[in-house]
Amino acid sequence: MGLKNINRRGFLKLMGWSGVGATVAGCDMPTTVTLEEGKETVTSYLVPEEYAIPGIGVWYSSTCRQCPAGCGLHGRVREGRILKLEGNPDSPINAGKLCQMGQAGLQGHYNPDRLRTPKVRKDGKLVDITWAEALDLIDQHVGASSGLNGARFAWVSDSVSGHQAMLIDNLMSALGSKNLFIHEVVNSEVARSVNQAVLGDATPRYQIGKAHAILSIGNDFLGTGDSPVHASTEYTEFRSSPRGVLGVVEPKMTLTGANADLWMAIRPGTEGVFALSVANVLATKHKMAIDMLPKAIQTAIMKRNLNEDARLTGVSGNHVIRVAKWLSSNPGRSIVMVGGTAEGQVNGYQNGVAAMVLNVMLGNVGKTIVASHEFPFPQLEHRAGGTAGLLDFVKAIDNGGLDVAFFSGANPVYTAPAALGLKDKLASIPFKVSFTQFDDETSQLADLVLPILSPMEDWATIVPKVQGEEAVISMQQPVMEPLYADTRGLGDIVLDLLKKRDGATYGNYDSYYAYLSQAFASFPANMAADGKAVTWNDALAKGVIAVKTGEKQLKAKLDQVAVALPEENAEYPLTLIPTPRLGLWDGRHANIPWLQEAPDQISKVVWDSWAEIHPNLAKQLGVETGDAIKITSAQGAIDVKVYVFKGIHPDAIAVPLGQGHKGYGRYADGRGVNPLEILDTATVDGTNELALYSTRVKVEKARNKDTLVMMGDHDVQMGRKMVSTVTPDVFELTGGEA
Amino acid sequence: MSLQNLLQDWSRYRRGREEGGFHNYEHMWGMSIDLNLCIGCNACSVACYAENNLAVVGKDKYEKHQAMHWMRIERYWDEPDLGEGRVSEYQQHGASFLPMNCQQCNAATCEPVCPVAATYHTPDGLNAQVYNRCIGSRYCSNNCPYRLRYFNFYSYYEDSWPEPLNLQLNPDLSVRDKGVMEKCTFCIQRIRVAKDKAQREHRVLQDGEFTTACAQTCPTSAIVFGDMLKMYDPNSTNPSSKVIELWEKHQVELGVTEQEKHNPKIRGYRVLEHLNTDPCIMFLDRVREV
Repeated sequence: MGLKNINRRGFLKLMGWSGVGATVAGCDMPTTVTLEEGKETVTSYLVPEEYAIPGIGVWYSSTCRQCPAGCGLHGRVREGRILKLEGNPDSPINAGKLCQMGQAGLQGHYNPDRLRTPKVRKDGKLVDITWAEALDLIDQHVGASSGLNGARFAWVSDSVSGHQAMLIDNLMSALGSKNLFIHEVVNSEVARSVNQAVLGDATPRYQIGKAHAILSIGNDFLGTGDSPVHASTEYTEFRSSPRGVLGVVEPKMTLTGANADLWMAIRPGTEGVFALSVANVLATKHKMAIDMLPKAIQTAIMKRNLNEDARLTGVSGNHVIRVAKWLSSNPGRSIVMVGGTAEGQVNGYQNGVAAMVLNVMLGNVGKTIVASHEFPFPQLEHRAGGTAGLLDFVKAIDNGGLDVAFFSGANPVYTAPAALGLKDKLASIPFKVSFTQFDDETSQLADLVLPILSPMEDWATIVPKVQGEEAVISMQQPVMEPLYADTRGLGDIVLDLLKKRDGATYGNYDSYYAYLSQAFASFPANMAADGKAVTWNDALAKGVIAVKTGEKQLKAKLDQVAVALPEENAEYPLTLIPTPRLGLWDGRHANIPWLQEAPDQISKVVWDSWAEIHPNLAKQLGVETGDAIKITSAQGAIDVKVYVFKGIHPDAIAVPLGQGHKGYGRYADGRGVNPLEILDTATVDGTNELALYSTRVKVEKARNKDTLVMMGDHDVQMGRKMVSTVTPDVFELTGGEA
Repeated sequence: MSLQNLLQDWSRYRRGREEGGFHNYEHMWGMSIDLNLCIGCNACSVACYAENNLAVVGKDKYEKHQAMHWMRIERYWDEPDLGEGRVSEYQQHGASFLPMNCQQCNAATCEPVCPVAATYHTPDGLNAQVYNRCIGSRYCSNNCPYRLRYFNFYSYYEDSWPEPLNLQLNPDLSVRDKGVMEKCTFCIQRIRVAKDKAQREHRVLQDGEFTTACAQTCPTSAIVFGDMLKMYDPNSTNPSSKVIELWEKHQVELGVTEQEKHNPKIRGYRVLEHLNTDPCIMFLDRVREV
């Protein structure tokens, strides 16, 4: 390889391995011919290809890309087709397990609505174009001679990590732009900023398996948290003998709430009051010390009044006392988690701080809440994002405008509240490029739509959002040949654009694959967890590389907490909860038929949207399950069928995310509604994140009985012993063996 | 299979029951599902769709109860009784989730009613469905107390897998056509592969060598699959199977209608076992603080 223009340090940096203590060990060039390298040669059918063994599956390791958690995969391949995905037992994230979204990765890959050729918009219509022409067209707008002002360029992406993230960063700096906007609707950004401020670590690891009592304040860690499968594998340990107890307080029952020992409905926005109320009981009834807290917080705790708080939050005082009892008997072995509906309020940041006060009081910091691993390669680290990315993007359009915008992974036209006016604002950007597997709402407004490879066909290195016991880099390799010849990998495209900018540095790499394999040839051996050299083939076979990490300690630093109550709003008395789902997620999986036909875990509805309301509210409105209501916010209205049940606070109304697509393929279009459309654009105080769960609405009955298709005819067991329930003392009789 | 064989097998089977069980089984595949661990996430169900070529039927047919979910998660609500005739304002103990796949009954109510013996008991203890013998009378489905048999009312292959979704179909098993009943097979194709492999290598099958798609993916490892017969290599360090250990520990026995537990509080039961179906799936009680 001819890297004449580059010194050793520069080389490591280029390969992503720069960072703490990385030095060069031996050079191990990949020698084995792999699936990707295979040249097109004429071979008789009598001699099957290397990987095609009729009747026997061949397993390849890879990484799941259905959500940012980064679970390891094993994919079963026969006759060159990927048939089934399983979890990779070697991955410390998912330990051989997968969720339904992971299982359904196959139907994203084989989706009949995948784009097959690059297209450019001419006179409002998309017409075919070759890749060379497409790249030239991009070069005209962003190339060295384009005169592009970096401040007038933006890239909107879903969360990225590994070498793709690094190459995107490098391209951004080559273009002189700082406008890389990471946008995820399902996120934990507010909790992360609380963690950063209080613990000095945005992503501490919650050791669910080691806890004996967990209080989740709106955090759906089993369903839509940072790493649902990892949390589920830890949940097994948590629920094994001695069985841990789980309390969940939230306005609408999530999957985690459905598994709680005690589920408490809370008035949205009063979560901070609840947390301090628990702290008060811990201090007064259980005599737990609070002198480690600053005076201001001590005062805030001591002035709470149980009965008054119960009136404010809607959670009965008895329940607060019960939760406090569980927590007080497990100091240092409990966890208080905040997330989702608690953080997505205007006062969400303070709700998070209040929950952290509990963790500090209980001595959980450093015990069940431990520091994240000091990841040795900062260039490759996971870039998490939330709705701030979306708001910043809109701001960039408003302030001076943009000349060029790239979109990958994110679909902001679908996920942006209509009040942001993004759709119209995009018209002011003269050149928009969408790198996408599917035609979606954003691509419909793009000038250039470039079909990218599916994760089953493409190379990548993934750094999980939250690491497990060991910090790993997870390998994503193609498990089969691309279905369509005219699609390209995102890494390849970014590399091509970098080549055009900086041929001297990047010209040596024919492809993203070549780049990655060379990167691993130079992987500094002293940075592997076991101190052994990492070979390319081993990395691919195992699927994960454990890396050496630095030690970090958490140190809690609190100064004050200010819990505010949500404002009264006579015109819009209810709060809308646009619920993320383990399934359709933020809507990106709405085009997967298996997930559309998989019943929602709570309501059991399929192929549709619905609104969850409490029987008291239903009575007030005169509706029952199946009737349609109209939900109106200050920003607009949606019309949706109701599901009446007692897993929601009467002041809240929950509409799941994911449906209401217009232009996302045959399985997604024309089903249900998108609650994001009618959201207010208020942000969480102290952050730049949308207060997703704070929009106030009013409802009225719209129509009588409509079809609401759901699994099962009965909501109750009709006296039969279908699910039998016992108490924990009975459970411990058999040592709780699972 | 001649009619004579069929009748002989049948009477042998009936006699077996009366004499304390049919003893010539090669295997007896069974499961234990721990409802303390099941979180109702639905991963098992989608894994089953992927493994077993289950058709997606769409909203209209779903409404007519024609969905093909061999493994489904039933969800029940129970209102906590607060005493004095009051019920709670909320579902304060969460939901009750129940993963239901074919219970592989040893006294299966679906088997004797099949007019063409398309559903029968295999020497592996499985309740098997012979697709190309099935004439679609649907008697079996009608007779299944668990409602776990699924009928192909249409030729789903015509539109359930538009190209290239069809490339995902598992070549180890068929895609069923209109007029045929189907159900959970305990991933019989995986059993086949594992048995063949063990035979080729001249050894007995080991516990944990393979598992069903649902058990493999279950994020909380609530589902345990294995052989209920102690037929493992006595020299092995693991002479039994995990599933046997669990059934013994929780004092649930095959071939018994009413379990005699010396400690009735011990977890472990079979759904609707009072119907004398003798299912091969044991559930462990859900646990909740009250």
